[in-house]
Amino acid sequence: MISSRRSPFAGFATLMSLAAALVLTGCGKKDAAPAPAGATTSASSTFPGMEADLAATMKAQSDFYRTAPLSAIPADLKWETGAELPEFSDPNAKEGGTFRYYIADFPRTLRTIGPDATGGIRPYLLDFVAINLVHAHPNVANAAFPGLAREWAADPKTKTVYFRLDPDARFADGKPVTTADIVFSFYFFRSPHLRQPWYNDFYTKTFSSITVYDAYTVAYTLADWKPDAVLRAGADNSIYPRHFFSEFGPDWLDKYQWRAAPLTGAYELTDANVEKGRSITLTAVKNWWARDKKFWRHRYNPARYRFDVIREPDKIFEAFTRGDLDLFRLDQPKFWYESLPDSHPLVASGYITKTKFFNRIPRPSYGLWINRTKPALDNRDIREGLHFATNFDLVCSQYFRGDARRLDGQSDGYTDWDVGPGIRARPFDPVKARALFSRAGYTEQGPDGILRNAAGQRLSFTITTGDQTLRDPLSIIQQEALKAGVEYKLEVLDRTTGFKKVQEKNHEIGLVALASSVEVYPRYWETYHGSNAYEDAYLRPDGSFTDKASEGTPNPAPKKIRVQTNNMTETFVPEMDRLIESYDRAETFAAMKPLSARIEELIQNDAAWVNGWQLPFHRAGYWRYVKWPATYNVAHSRYPDEFFLHWIDQDEKKAVEDARRSGRTFPAQILTFDQFKK
Amino acid sequence: MKLLPRFLSDPQTKKKFARFRAIKRGYYSFLVLAGLTVLAIVAELLVNNRALVVRYEGEWFFPTYGAIHTGKEFGLDYAYEVNYRDLDARFKADGGRNRVVLPPVPYSPLENCYVGETFRPRPPDWSKGHYFGTDQINRDILARLLYGFRNALLFSSGFFAMTYLLGIVFGCLMGYFGGTFDLIMQRVIEVWSNIPFLFVVIFVASILTPNLGLLLVIVGLFSWMSMTQYMRTSTYREKSRDYVHAAEVLGASTGRIIFNHILPNVLSTVVTFIPFTVAGAISALTSLDFLGFGLPPPTPSCGELLRQGTANLNAPWIVISAFTALVLVLSLVTFVGEAVRDAFDPKKFTTYQ
Repeated sequence: MISSRRSPFAGFATLMSLAAALVLTGCGKKDAAPAPAGATTSASSTFPGMEADLAATMKAQSDFYRTAPLSAIPADLKWETGAELPEFSDPNAKEGGTFRYYIADFPRTLRTIGPDATGGIRPYLLDFVAINLVHAHPNVANAAFPGLAREWAADPKTKTVYFRLDPDARFADGKPVTTADIVFSFYFFRSPHLRQPWYNDFYTKTFSSITVYDAYTVAYTLADWKPDAVLRAGADNSIYPRHFFSEFGPDWLDKYQWRAAPLTGAYELTDANVEKGRSITLTAVKNWWARDKKFWRHRYNPARYRFDVIREPDKIFEAFTRGDLDLFRLDQPKFWYESLPDSHPLVASGYITKTKFFNRIPRPSYGLWINRTKPALDNRDIREGLHFATNFDLVCSQYFRGDARRLDGQSDGYTDWDVGPGIRARPFDPVKARALFSRAGYTEQGPDGILRNAAGQRLSFTITTGDQTLRDPLSIIQQEALKAGVEYKLEVLDRTTGFKKVQEKNHEIGLVALASSVEVYPRYWETYHGSNAYEDAYLRPDGSFTDKASEGTPNPAPKKIRVQTNNMTETFVPEMDRLIESYDRAETFAAMKPLSARIEELIQNDAAWVNGWQLPFHRAGYWRYVKWPATYNVAHSRYPDEFFLHWIDQDEKKAVEDARRSGRTFPAQILTFDQFKK
Repeated sequence: MKLLPRFLSDPQTKKKFARFRAIKRGYYSFLVLAGLTVLAIVAELLVNNRALVVRYEGEWFFPTYGAIHTGKEFGLDYAYEVNYRDLDARFKADGGRNRVVLPPVPYSPLENCYVGETFRPRPPDWSKGHYFGTDQINRDILARLLYGFRNALLFSSGFFAMTYLLGIVFGCLMGYFGGTFDLIMQRVIEVWSNIPFLFVVIFVASILTPNLGLLLVIVGLFSWMSMTQYMRTSTYREKSRDYVHAAEVLGASTGRIIFNHILPNVLSTVVTFIPFTVAGAISALTSLDFLGFGLPPPTPSCGELLRQGTANLNAPWIVISAFTALVLVLSLVTFVGEAVRDAFDPKKFTTYQ
């Protein structure tokens, strides 16, 4: 998945079913981007065919698609192989068996890219399974281990990363992976026929060129250099088989709607294993090329991975306890404490194991995003008062039963990254809130218990969200806010509408979370830079507008609100903008960290984002015969099975089945793994 | 307009009411329903976290309706609304002359009834006054049902008024004028009826957060068409009667003929539909709330409880309470409806005016 993708509400992943959450993790930025320069836009009737169009595109964009002889590679590069990194799978893993799981909805397509492709099945077809050039090590921050690339070298001077492909690498249909496939993948991502503007935009802006040296050597030149450039170049971009997409063109959506592409991962999906509307079964690729490679061995152990379509979480739970499913995610307190308590017969008798695993990932930024362009909310005292008036502490302690924790700041959860000294969420305190409101002129309490100012305006704000599952937390903070004399009106909209309202800055307060994929450092530009609040944020000396604080002076009275951006607080603080620009230019962690801490401090002082909550773990229940490594999972796992470290112990499965018939029991297993807990 | 008093004082109508009273099931259902409606109207006196009467330091308070009283007014240290249950306990412990009289069920439909404890559904607890238990964020189910019922009643009265007004006006006009107007209106109605109403409501509700009024307008706009058909045919029939011609000859205006002469004679058809309209409105509101497209949280409603109940099957008291309440109300309304239909059966009585 692409690391820069931050998407609405996806963070509820930790509470909702995997499927629903992933729909959003993938959907990315909604703004349409212009088609890449020079791309062919010929209509279907005149489309010359994929290979001819690819050749024409390469010719037209020869400064992007480059070729060079092997001798052109600098000799002084330091080639890396990731060999020094530890493996994270368990050598005792046993292959075979069928792992039975669920998806909440049958996918609308089997494509893994293009419209509707970001459904619940996509991670199992692509993100969790397919192999990219390199992969981020899930226990070590900013470390790469080999995938399709056997070796790689970074050259910060030229902003280029070189890759040597593994000659063993094969697609599921046995065809070798070569640089021709890489060239195709870039053409594919940048083509307007893909019908996914976000990809077009990303692959036009992120990379300035790719250079092919021979069938197994390639280099990516990035537009910006960052400390994690190797991962950005190698780990975040999928490689698609050129031969399979030979019919790609303007009508490719129709042609490829129900054809799963053969990719490089351990599983494949064949037509025979798709039961439309009912189930999907992945099967292990025969003689998978990476079966014995370091970092890939002892993973992807089940021979078959079956997904049944079950829509309701309660029904999924019933199917799980009946023994029809092997694993069920217990992230929701309701399931962990009520439906499957430790005293549940299946748990007490040891048939089902309950496991809680503390992971280390960037947390979805749950919180109240206060739109300061709305009346009263431009007053910092009111905003800070709302911090003290919003009882997320109660939501954490009593609704999430102490499992959730307040977010310290926007960058909470990043490995090796501190939010900043002393930056913490403000606790619920109606007295402090009232003092601040009173300072802002809201001194009188009306007959309804809501504070008013001298002009008779009530302290009443609407909270907008697009997440139906947030009804209860919202109802809780609404009742609590009355203690501070604030009225919250609740507006629970449909997912898309809710997010759109916030992105168009029509909200007063939005309860929204932006989720990011597991990346190394936080980003601030999208959410806090003034150019994402106003189109005319800065003035050049000649009076024209610019987006950069470094190029001009702040516009004293900006008027044009920039919509469709993630600056949902409409923050426009010139000092912060200069810091963000320096942060984005910084090329080392040492330079970035102090800037990040200062930015977090400004965010805290500015008080436009009321820190929400995070669930710092994933939890699951699974049948006893599902086995895991001794450490259970890896630090950067978002879901229990994301890295496919588990296996089915066939003998144990039989033993459990026999025991259930005979009534024999096992010792109960309720496990907590907190080796990565902060 | 003197339409209603005239309709009610009509001896034929009186006969119909007598017949209605004779149909026992419907009549008793009506009494129960009327009783429930009265309870819902004065819900604040029965189910409420505000006390009925407080006597504090010789002063009397009646907090049920009107402005809130803060904790500070009763010598406590907080500026928000006083918790009367705590106040009651405190006064009792003090043993002084201060008194609090709480309603029979001392909980509001919105508040967290287990302060300081986990949010989870709790089974009925008669000692605490949670006769139907609490929902997933510790709110009293009985309170939510009663206030939800009140919302449903409000909604269905508004719905009835709106659809009948539109339906009767358009139906009468179509029947009376006939010809091109009738033809065009019929086509318009056909097209309008073919719009799937639930989808439109869901669509609109997902863009705007509906309040009771807006929801009423949206649902009402798509529900008045069937009434026009009945009114149209009845008016057609009445129009050819001699008394209408007589009125025309006497120079009565169109409005007068429709509303003073024709309408009273077709009203009996309308009356029989009312209970079923009410039942339909309650079901519509419940299903919208169930789907999450109804009234915004935390508005109490039966549909919202059903939704919670189906998501918490391990807390059966939620779904049982909501389901029973819904079935009870809908059955009562339907029984009344059947009785009205029998009592007003035009085959038994025909009126000419």
